[in-house]
Amino acid sequence: MINDLIYVYCISNSPPELSKNALFAGLQHIPFHGLNVVIRLVSESEFSEENLKKNLTDLAWLDSYAREHIRIISLLMEDCTVIPFNFGTIYNSQDSLLRFLEDYYDSLIEKIEYISGKEEWGIKMYFNRTMLIEQIDELSMEAADLEKQIMASSPGKAFLLRRKKSELIESEMNRLTKSYGQDYFNQLKKISEATMLNNLLPKELTGRDDTMILNASFLLYKDKASDFTATLNFLREKCVGFGFDIEFTGPWPPFSFISIKEKV
Amino acid sequence: MHDNVIDRSKDLTILELLDRVLNKGVILTGDIVISVADVDLIYLGVKLMLSSVETMEQLKSGQAIIKK
Repeated sequence: MINDLIYVYCISNSPPELSKNALFAGLQHIPFHGLNVVIRLVSESEFSEENLKKNLTDLAWLDSYAREHIRIISLLMEDCTVIPFNFGTIYNSQDSLLRFLEDYYDSLIEKIEYISGKEEWGIKMYFNRTMLIEQIDELSMEAADLEKQIMASSPGKAFLLRRKKSELIESEMNRLTKSYGQDYFNQLKKISEATMLNNLLPKELTGRDDTMILNASFLLYKDKASDFTATLNFLREKCVGFGFDIEFTGPWPPFSFISIKEKV
Repeated sequence: MHDNVIDRSKDLTILELLDRVLNKGVILTGDIVISVADVDLIYLGVKLMLSSVETMEQLKSGQAIIKK
C-alpha cells in the first residue's frame, strides 16, 4: 500500500519531539520558517476523497481516528503552542501543503501568537423541566404569589387560576433558563480571553433526558484553568438542586478559536 | 496541574469528540476536507447509533415494546 496523502494534525511553534511518545510513531514534521507542520502519510485506500467519505459513515472507524486526532494534538500541546486542524484535512502533495503555508503564513503566525499560553474549555448546560417545575414557587415570586391566591380561592376560581399558572410556569421557565444560562456564561467569560457559542444539540444526540440550553467554548490562559473549574463547580453546585446541570470538558487544543481567513 | 483531556479521552463520548474536531469548519483548507454536508451525515449516523443502542438496552432489560 502506498501512503502518499498528507494528513495534517496541527502546526506547532517549536519542533515537536516525536520520539517522546509511542503514539507519535509514524508522525513526521515539516519545518516551514519557524512553523512545524505535524503530519502523517496516509493511504488513498482510507483517505482519498471518496474513501474518506465512505469511512466517515463507519462510526467505529471515525471514533478511533477522531480520538487519535485529539490525543496526538493534546499531547503535542503539552510542550508547544499548536494550531489544531479539523479532523480529516488532507493534502495531495507536499507542494500543495507548502503553497497553503506560504499563502497563509502571516495569518498562521498571528494565530500562534494569539493562542500562546492559552487553552480551550467546553461547557454544556442542561435543564430538567420536571425538576424546575417542581420548584417554580421557590424560584419565581410571581408563581409563588399566584399559588397563594389559588390556596385562598374557591374551587371554581382556583381552577381558573391553575390554568393561568400553567401559562405563567412556561414563561417563567423560559425566563429562568435564559437568565441562568446568560449569568453563568457571563461569569465564565470574565475569566476567559474569548468565547464561542456553539449549536445546541438535540436530545437524540446528547442521549440525555434534559434539554441543552448552552453549548459554549472558552479560551483562557492556562494559569486561569483552576479559577475556571472552581467557578464552574461553584456555579454547578448552586443550580443543580433545581434542575440545572453543567458538563465541562477540557483542556482542549483551541479548536474553536482558530479561524484562518480566506486570502483576498 | 490539572488532568489533560487525553487522560480522560477514553471517557469522552463520541459526541464530545466530534463536537470539537469536526463541527467548527474553521480551517477550510486542504485538498480534501470534511464538508458541512458530510458532518450532517456523520451526525445522522451518530443519531441512528444512539437510538439503536437505546433499543438494544430496552431489549436487554425486557422493556421493548414494538411501537409500529
